[in-house]
Amino acid sequence: MQLELRGITKRFGSLVANDHISITVEPGQIHSLLGENGAGKTTLMNVLFGLLSPDEGEIVINGLVTPIHDSGQAVRLGLGMVHQHFMLVPVFTVAENVVLGFEPTKSLNRIDYRRATDEIRDLSQRFKLEVDPEAIIENLPVGLQQRVEILKALSHDAELLILDEPTAVLTPQEIDALMEIMRSLAAAGKSILFITHKLKEVKAIADVITVIRQGHVVGTAEPTTSESELASMMVGREVQLTVQKSAFKPGDEVLQVRDLVVLDDRGLVAVNGVSLDVRAGEVLALAGVQGNGQTEFVEALVGMRHVESGSITLHGKDLTNVTPRHALDSGLGHVPEDRQRDGLVLTMSVADNLVLNTPRRAPFARRGTRNFAAVNQHAEQLVHDFDIRTTSIQAPCSSLSGGNQQKVIVARELSRPLEFLVASQPTRGLDVGSIEYVHRQIVENRNRGLGSLIVSSELDEVMALGDRIAVMYEGRIIGVVDSTATRESIGLMMAGTTMEAAGV
Amino acid sequence: MSLVATQSAQNVATLVRNRRTRVIAVLMAIVALFTIFALGSTCRSSAHSVLTFTPINLVNAPWHLGSLTVLTRWTVIVLGLIELALAVEVWVREPRRAVMARFGIVAILFLLAVLFWAARSPGPSPIDFVNLTSILVGASATTMVLVYGSLSGVMCERSGVVNIAIEGQFIAGAFLGSIIASTTDNFYYAAIAGAVIGGVIGLLLAFFSLRYRSDQIIVGIVLVTALSSLSSYLNLQVFTPFPNFNTGNLAPNLPIPLLYKIPVLGPVFFNQSGFFYVMMILVGVVSFALFKTRYGLHVRAVGEHPRAAATVGIDVIRVRYINVVLGGAIAGLGGVAFMATQGQFQVGYTSGYGYIALAALIFGRWRPSGAVVASIIFGLSVYLSYNLVTYNVPISIYFLEMFPYLITIAVVAGLIGRVRPPAADGRPYERD
Amino acid sequence: MTASPIIVAALALVLGLVVGAFIIATTTPTVLDAWRGMFHGWGGFPHALNVTFDNVGAAYRAIFTGSVVDPQGFWRSLTTGKGWPNTLTPISETLTYATPLVIVSIGVGIAFQTGLFNIGANGQAVIGGILGAVIGSMISLPTVLHVPLTLLGGVAGGMICGLVPGLLKAYTGAHEVIVTLMFNYVTYAFLLYAVLSTPYQQPGQENDIGRTLDPTAILAPLFGTKSGLRVSYGIFVAALVVVFAWWLLDRSSLGFDFRVTGANPSAARASGISAKRVIVVVFLISGGLAGLAGIVQVATTTHYIDGGFLIGSAGIGFTAITVALLGRNRPLGIVWASLLFAALDVGGRNMQASTGIPLDLATVIQCAIVLFVATPVMVKEIFRLKSTQTTGLHLSTTGWGT
Repeated sequence: MQLELRGITKRFGSLVANDHISITVEPGQIHSLLGENGAGKTTLMNVLFGLLSPDEGEIVINGLVTPIHDSGQAVRLGLGMVHQHFMLVPVFTVAENVVLGFEPTKSLNRIDYRRATDEIRDLSQRFKLEVDPEAIIENLPVGLQQRVEILKALSHDAELLILDEPTAVLTPQEIDALMEIMRSLAAAGKSILFITHKLKEVKAIADVITVIRQGHVVGTAEPTTSESELASMMVGREVQLTVQKSAFKPGDEVLQVRDLVVLDDRGLVAVNGVSLDVRAGEVLALAGVQGNGQTEFVEALVGMRHVESGSITLHGKDLTNVTPRHALDSGLGHVPEDRQRDGLVLTMSVADNLVLNTPRRAPFARRGTRNFAAVNQHAEQLVHDFDIRTTSIQAPCSSLSGGNQQKVIVARELSRPLEFLVASQPTRGLDVGSIEYVHRQIVENRNRGLGSLIVSSELDEVMALGDRIAVMYEGRIIGVVDSTATRESIGLMMAGTTMEAAGV
Repeated sequence: MSLVATQSAQNVATLVRNRRTRVIAVLMAIVALFTIFALGSTCRSSAHSVLTFTPINLVNAPWHLGSLTVLTRWTVIVLGLIELALAVEVWVREPRRAVMARFGIVAILFLLAVLFWAARSPGPSPIDFVNLTSILVGASATTMVLVYGSLSGVMCERSGVVNIAIEGQFIAGAFLGSIIASTTDNFYYAAIAGAVIGGVIGLLLAFFSLRYRSDQIIVGIVLVTALSSLSSYLNLQVFTPFPNFNTGNLAPNLPIPLLYKIPVLGPVFFNQSGFFYVMMILVGVVSFALFKTRYGLHVRAVGEHPRAAATVGIDVIRVRYINVVLGGAIAGLGGVAFMATQGQFQVGYTSGYGYIALAALIFGRWRPSGAVVASIIFGLSVYLSYNLVTYNVPISIYFLEMFPYLITIAVVAGLIGRVRPPAADGRPYERD
Repeated sequence: MTASPIIVAALALVLGLVVGAFIIATTTPTVLDAWRGMFHGWGGFPHALNVTFDNVGAAYRAIFTGSVVDPQGFWRSLTTGKGWPNTLTPISETLTYATPLVIVSIGVGIAFQTGLFNIGANGQAVIGGILGAVIGSMISLPTVLHVPLTLLGGVAGGMICGLVPGLLKAYTGAHEVIVTLMFNYVTYAFLLYAVLSTPYQQPGQENDIGRTLDPTAILAPLFGTKSGLRVSYGIFVAALVVVFAWWLLDRSSLGFDFRVTGANPSAARASGISAKRVIVVVFLISGGLAGLAGIVQVATTTHYIDGGFLIGSAGIGFTAITVALLGRNRPLGIVWASLLFAALDVGGRNMQASTGIPLDLATVIQCAIVLFVATPVMVKEIFRLKSTQTTGLHLSTTGWGT
């Protein structure tokens, strides 16, 4: 299908999320939409998929102007969306998920599962998306779940597939596999709209690149364009792609983890005997694709998850199976993976959030009664020092942008006396400016002698920040390398290859 | 590649140490020891109890089955030992599933033991027999109402809406049903009226929860309070001056030819009011609809992951409206059924059964079949708490009255955390 | 016209009264007859309207004169200087009713702010009332000791009662809605047991009546018994509770923990707040306050407990839920809401006495008001107001999630 977006504009109050955006996708073309977080990509896709209606502009499919009112209609027109956060029901089977909404039926409104599974097997073979139709989604690894998403779109006879940040949860090898699938789909005549903020992927797969920034189209580019040029188109200025670090001068050991075993919510082993050491003045980056136990590992470190066996020691103090209160009071700083769920209380003020984990400590409270003057003074100081953009310290945190919310958390942690910092996916969902800021903070503190563990699934971030890089795979540390290691070898380890086989 | 890796991850020996399973095992053991020592030893070794099977009401009686006389002490001790065996099994094996099912079995065995013990002769009881059929028939009335209530819960919660207002729908159904049944003498009309009023209340609940996204639990509680007060108000305004609106006629039993003659099972399953048969049919219909049909898949998708459902074009709000109204209608029908088997409407006579039905829903893991099993257990415990008084047991009648509610608390406390409600249950759906 | 929460509440009150009027109109025989007569001639419709307004007006007028003041009586007392006790009786009754209601509603409101549903406040009040009444009637002490101990007995009874759902929720995750609801029924049975089968039963009585409180244990009327005005020193107890709640929620670290837990349980846990501790403490406080309300009610009104204590529409534990919701869980809002709902209850009694309309209607009106307050969006739609902030009734815990 040929899809044309002409002058799409969408406003939310005074904010213009999409500003006269025009894009054309040809049949059989892999068209990449490149933009950083907050550039307006999601809004544009919601408009295309009928979840939002544009204030101006029109959608043109195969030459015909077609206003789209709801998702059902979008699907019927041949648009297929593969969402970033999968739209799959975890407790259903693959078959149930694929046919949802378009179920083949027998008498009495019964679902004809035999026809459904036949159709799935047929599609699987045609597009090389092998998956077991009877499997239950929540038991499948993420890469396979994504295949089901794609199958779902294909089963609705999609002619144009929209892939929204599909590689966030994939290993480098799975990413390669996905690119193969994309190429074969394009060869079969399907159009692909590939949305991402990752420069390397865009250069590897796209036929055409459209760059958007702050709601409008900056320009189109060829995949041969250099990375730095693409980056500055994305951000609008010269972007520093690496962080300045002073010489690596590690001190004594601060954090010691030995043979840690931790279970996940379903009772299965998530952390399978992990041992780590981190020294003062060192950043240990924990790399790995999401879902290999990093989340449970961090939760165990900060006291939010039970440790089955093994030990955690901080400066000689035992921190195994302590309460979060104890961990925080022992000098552990925590920047959580899900900042809105675990890091902030959005309905409370910026000032309250800035003392969220130390509200009772002097001078913020005395004998059970809070000292608002001290809290406010602290808040003013931090807002100034960390350049937090907010209308007032009493404004609710929900009024802050994602980047500023993260700054609140970073400010809170770094402004108290820390022995060690644990930060999990610290720059997820942030714009480039905020990413730079957070990286700078981490490195500055590292230069000043703070030891930290940064967990990230972004290979670039891991390589930029880590003095040493530990790779986690299926609950174990596959290997620990230093900053001389190559992207390829780390990528291989993230997929499970041992250090020797990866050539390290 | 990764598919194989996941399989092996699941086969890894899991280090599950579940403290709560052990607590349940300890509770079961306490019950078992109580059975053996407190009950077993207080009977004289010569005491015997009689188990009879012919119902008291000889109209449409089944074939006669002789009675069974047992030595009380040994019977009670044997029952206690079985309970103890189950307790030990739970402690040692720590099964991940069906722990509460074992707890339920222990509860039933315990009730049986208590019955035998209470009816022993020589002993303080004026009656020396336990009429199994009467007990099951008596409990079936309560069980029927609980099934209606938990079916209503299944319909609503599977689509993602918590219906605390079941108690209110019972009250409304019983009230309106009484008026219709008393004036027209026709229980079909009463049933329809009850279903309609239940549906209307469901509509109110849906309206406030879905359109205005108020907290469903709060709306439910406010509705029940309002309906309860309204029923008290109307009782004084309508029933007191016009008692002919509240005659308390009971629905007649409709025996199924031949089947009703089967001993024990006959009177329980095949000689009941129409409401009972409708209940059984509804269980089948709801099960079929939820798990085999297109409609059911949509409902369950909406209850688990409404956004996913929306992206394939399912109207989440519409599905929820339909289900909550249907669920309400079922609960309203349950209220009429209650009135049809209990008699004259009295303020408060539904006694919290609507809430017990919710516990049965949870116990039954949001499946109609499970809800039926749970309702049977709760129904028996409610019935026995009244029935035991006739045996002159040395427990104050007031503590016996507390029994079903305490059982409900124990079940709910033991279950939460090991059962998964529909993932979107109770959460308002936000459109973009 | 923009809509602040106060305006929304006022309009919700109006709508609630409209609902009540509708119910009166449809269930009073004379009104129904008048409407039926509408078909018999052109004068039928205005006549029907007249009759409706007469009946509804009489009912609402009775509510007002029964709870606030009778304007004629007021004028007479002003001009002649006599008959003040009679004139002030309605307000005194409203205050007497509101006193325990404020206390229990604040307890419920604190729980709501923490994201916990304490639906068992009624049962906690019953047990608190019993324990307090036992101390107040079966032990002899001088007033200065007896009154505080009696009140403490109420608090203790309520705390014990609140501990069960609190511990169960904290350590097993059992949803407190079902546990507290079921426990209410347990307490009703216990009440009958206490007043019929224990030494607490009134000596020489066969019925379900407990002992009368000693005169040293009651909260005496402010203006003495001869004035006939029941408003008592209980007001000061209620005032103390309000101050305590304000300090707890706005100023104390504990209250901060409560509010964080209520707003975002995950973040609360991650920032070091112990969920178990918070749950148990909240239920202790909420239960304790409910128990205090129970004994305050006994000590300021009937001075004895019978088998019908806090049953049905008189159950302050359930009114407390609607009051807390109306007052948005804040101490000051709860005071106003309590006064309003107490007025409706007291006035409802008068309405029943003078027009025969059962006072359960007052409860129905209360529920209607709360439902309208719960949906400010709807109220605004009905009155076509612009919204400043739309916050419905939201507690962060939803469904059966722990």
